[in-house]
Amino acid sequence: MIRKLTLSILTLAIWMSQAAGEEKAPGFRGDIMPILFRAGCNAGACHGAAKGKDGFMLSLFGYDAKGDYYRIVNEMVGRRINYAVPEQSLLLTKATGKVPHTGGELFTEDSEYYKTIYLWIAAGTPDDEGKVPEPVGLELSPDSFVFEGVKKDGNLKVTALYDDGSRRDVTSLALFHSNNKSVISIDEHGKMKSTGAGDSHVFARFNRFTIGAEVIVLPPAEGFTWNNPETHNYIDEIVFDRLKKLRIVPSELSDDETFLRRVTLDLGARPPTPEEFHSFVADESPDKRAKKIDELLADDAFADLWTAIWSEQLRIIGGNYAPVGTHIKAAETFNEWIRTQMRTSRPLNEFVAEMVTASGSNLRNGPANLYTMMVHAPRLDPKAFAADFSQVFLGIQIQCAECHNHPFDRWTMDDYYGFVSFFTGVSRKPGVEVREQRIFYDKKAESAKHLVDQRPMPAKALGTVEPVSQSGDPRRALAGWLTSPENTYFSKNLANRVWAQLLGRGVIDPVDDVRVSNPPVNGPLLDALSEHLVESKFDLRSLVREICNSRVYQLSCAPNTSNKLDTRQFSRAYLRRLRADVLLDTIVSVSGEGKNFQHYAPGMRAIDIYPRTNGSTGGDHHGDMFFETFGRSDRSTISSTETSSDPTLSQTLHLTVGDTIMQRLDANGMIRKIVEKSETPEAALEEMFVLALCRKPTTGEQEGLVELIGNATRDVEVFEDIFWSLLNSTEFAFNH
Amino acid sequence: MKKLFLLYLAVVGNAAWADEINYEDHIKPIFREHCLRCHGDDKQKADLNLQNYASTMQGGSGGEAVTPGRSSQSLLFDSITDPDDDSRMPPNKPPIPQEHIDMIQKWIDTGSRESSSSKSMVEARDTSFQPAADAGQKPEYPAMPEELPVCETPELIRPLPVLSMDTSPWAPLLAFACQEHVKLVNSRTGDELGSLHFPEGIPHVLRFSRDGAVLLAAGGKPVEAGKVVLFDVKTGRRLAEVGDEVDAVLAADLSPDQSLVALGGTGGIAKVYSSADGSLKYKIEKHTDWVTTVAFSPDGKTLATGDRAGGIHLWDAASGRIRLSLSEHSAAVKALDWRSDSKFLASAGEDGRIVWWDTADGWPAINKTNAHPPKRVPGTYGTIPNGVLSLNYDAKGNLVSTGRDNKVRVWDSKGKQIKKFELEQGIPISAAFAFDGVKIFAGDSLGRTHHWDL
Repeated sequence: MIRKLTLSILTLAIWMSQAAGEEKAPGFRGDIMPILFRAGCNAGACHGAAKGKDGFMLSLFGYDAKGDYYRIVNEMVGRRINYAVPEQSLLLTKATGKVPHTGGELFTEDSEYYKTIYLWIAAGTPDDEGKVPEPVGLELSPDSFVFEGVKKDGNLKVTALYDDGSRRDVTSLALFHSNNKSVISIDEHGKMKSTGAGDSHVFARFNRFTIGAEVIVLPPAEGFTWNNPETHNYIDEIVFDRLKKLRIVPSELSDDETFLRRVTLDLGARPPTPEEFHSFVADESPDKRAKKIDELLADDAFADLWTAIWSEQLRIIGGNYAPVGTHIKAAETFNEWIRTQMRTSRPLNEFVAEMVTASGSNLRNGPANLYTMMVHAPRLDPKAFAADFSQVFLGIQIQCAECHNHPFDRWTMDDYYGFVSFFTGVSRKPGVEVREQRIFYDKKAESAKHLVDQRPMPAKALGTVEPVSQSGDPRRALAGWLTSPENTYFSKNLANRVWAQLLGRGVIDPVDDVRVSNPPVNGPLLDALSEHLVESKFDLRSLVREICNSRVYQLSCAPNTSNKLDTRQFSRAYLRRLRADVLLDTIVSVSGEGKNFQHYAPGMRAIDIYPRTNGSTGGDHHGDMFFETFGRSDRSTISSTETSSDPTLSQTLHLTVGDTIMQRLDANGMIRKIVEKSETPEAALEEMFVLALCRKPTTGEQEGLVELIGNATRDVEVFEDIFWSLLNSTEFAFNH
Repeated sequence: MKKLFLLYLAVVGNAAWADEINYEDHIKPIFREHCLRCHGDDKQKADLNLQNYASTMQGGSGGEAVTPGRSSQSLLFDSITDPDDDSRMPPNKPPIPQEHIDMIQKWIDTGSRESSSSKSMVEARDTSFQPAADAGQKPEYPAMPEELPVCETPELIRPLPVLSMDTSPWAPLLAFACQEHVKLVNSRTGDELGSLHFPEGIPHVLRFSRDGAVLLAAGGKPVEAGKVVLFDVKTGRRLAEVGDEVDAVLAADLSPDQSLVALGGTGGIAKVYSSADGSLKYKIEKHTDWVTTVAFSPDGKTLATGDRAGGIHLWDAASGRIRLSLSEHSAAVKALDWRSDSKFLASAGEDGRIVWWDTADGWPAINKTNAHPPKRVPGTYGTIPNGVLSLNYDAKGNLVSTGRDNKVRVWDSKGKQIKKFELEQGIPISAAFAFDGVKIFAGDSLGRTHHWDL
């Protein structure tokens, strides 16, 4: 034993003399914390778990250096650290797997990590609080890669930037990951290998920072010929520029029929009527698509669609539950206020700002319902509210930062608690009548307290340093910051949501999971859309017009050999199942037979329905069985994934044998009228196709059906069956 | 003159009574404001009625709501201070104001008086110390090291923290822990008397036997091996080795008659062995976390064990059957020591408490919170650890404690602090009185020992 100890002293002497030439002994924050991070000690599954592991807890990814120092050095004196014989410190024997360790061997005794920790213990575990520069950011070099084909190698170098202006190569201390391993793989040393054609990002994490580099793996050049598609506006230029770079050829322009159906469903939430079909097809003017877009934008149906989208986002439910503030009267006030804003083209920044600063009665002041509807609870929980607020209006999920700095984004606990403090004073009291809740700002409310040290965190906007003015209601300052043109988080979030609504996929997707590690698939595109929104003074219609007029929006959904695998670069139109409410309204529209909803007057459109359910509004509320089956948001959370277009067996069964279609086929004799007034079965077929699918039957379809009909050319039931099969086609249920 | 004096008495007397918090004058108004709507004469949710004293003391369907003298064990106090918004009373409201909480706590802790004229529900405990007639006989020739074997001590980069120390009860002898050995020092002269080799690793526990003839050393290497070794003080000879643990032994003691050795550690199990043949007598498996400290009572009847979750249990030393569970600590128990008359047990924990337990019925006769209050620089936030790390009784019922506030404090048998000493650097982690009570010793996390005259 003694000999062994002497040996270790010798080793130490050698290391010490090596170190002497360079600099001082390692410090905790500067040198040890990065190793704990890199080795995974403070990861969530290990000692970074809320209660630690096996009695030893570290702050997750190291958000609490002071606490970690205490726990390693002083919590159990003599156990984790042994000053007398550093190599007997549990910190080292566990990490090297010399003694049983659930986490296994993390590094070896001949590694740099071991040496650094050893020297730190030998130096008496110095705490370098306040003595080391703080990291302020990361740099990757190179910051983007283009690989010509698969099985090519690349190296990532990570540099940390510090507040004293210094830089340090931290490649050996960073953690790496790839967003799509089927495009690019990356190992723990930052070495990459291309695995398949496509585009993705690789990321490095160090300290509380995450940074990404774009990676493009090109398909073979042979067989690729750029088709130089015509561009309608800057959207096309940006998207095609990207496609050309990725060697993806976009699809052709869609035909007039497809465009008409697509744009009418997208902007009017309904299918085109046969009259609209005939006049559009007959129109010879070159700008008829643009005119159609303008026509649809001018219609109230457009405003009603966006009322429904916002109503879903803000979780409007008429629950008749006064303690929570969800009385139907309140829900109606809010919903109609939104409708008015949409119909009058209220700039979106003003629309949001009015809600953010709203106070007063929830029955009379619509926007004040933001504070009772978005989170349904007997009192406002500032943390839950702040999390939902940022997800809806910024697309950012900050709630991770409640307990630790966001591991894959820039948000720190300081950001989080400062943001929560905007809402700590938002309070409510029962109004004069039982259904009423009055929203007010309690100026005496205290700021949210930081989890680590309980220090009060005055209200502060995300990513800013200085708190806002602390006199009075800080929501004014919040609204000002949030909706200002400089806050691109806000304008990008709105632009991205509009884009996703029209193209079926966000430039950032999901739209409410914006983070450094989920970058836009086409950064310049999102920038341009966001700029357009700001320049148009947050005019929703202006942005929608711009997008719908682009060739990208109008592309056919038919793939070519080059783009058939593309699912994210908008090289063709992506098939989209109709929203549940639009699908229902479409069925009603083509069958001419209305639908009644519980708690609503007869003849309402599905798009105008928000759930009215008596009682508690906890849990899911669809408002109608059809909505539930077809994945309309149940408004149980604000998440964008609440709205689902996933196919299910019950959807198919519902459409084939359920009463929604079956009862409508012969309900009003519509097919009978078509058959009776048509001179030939061909004419009847054509009318039914136009009605249901907004196109004429193909020759093949027509010939086949005529043959099927045979001489039953006046049998209404046969034509009803044909209409049934049209409504059960995927073409009908999809926007294509 | 006489009249004046009486008047004076009356005034002073009243003032004294008014200080005693009672149900009628102080607590009921608080209940009225926050609780009676649901727990009053009109409604008794959970069968609890706080509108009069008798029904308050009777409790509700959840059992007794108030345990006089012990807010920490009172359901009522728990429910108004619950950090979970969903469980705290009153429901769906912010907590009741801190000054009301403090008042309720004080009311319970001072014995839940009904009115200004009623007596405390808690009887006063006599914590004073009288040496018993038969208290540990002094040996005729108290053992001192005479011819210790030569012990090679390893060369070290820096000293090991002084994890443990103890003094002989009858002789000027101090033992303290070093890397792979135990150092013995004459506590009067400061002369080093030699070292006992402990190649097992780090000595976490050192305890002299009641007669001072045997030194128990326990410890080992973390997550490798652990053992208890009994040394003959005079010759340094190893008398026995007990235990074969897979981790360092963190807690150990030798029974007064030297027949039993108790040990515990990270396995969460306390084991009691026969010192004669090393056979296992019984296991204690009640602890839910590491066993951090064990101590036999000086009369040999009871074994006390403490764990890292704050639990303390008393056991019949001979049979291993449970006698009492003592719950007061909310964080790791760091030390247990018995007063020489076996009537009181002192415990210390990372929650900053020292508790003097009346071991007849397990009552916390003195409950000192913030026994080692940390210094808080103005403007700093957050929890500054204020744990108490070690305890040691002298023969007269005084107690020395060390804590994370870098101080060594001495308390009398009534729980009054009589001395304190501060270290400028390093955390004091072990301490002991000299056998004659004129000095105290302390060891710190930097591996240094300190001594002060009392």
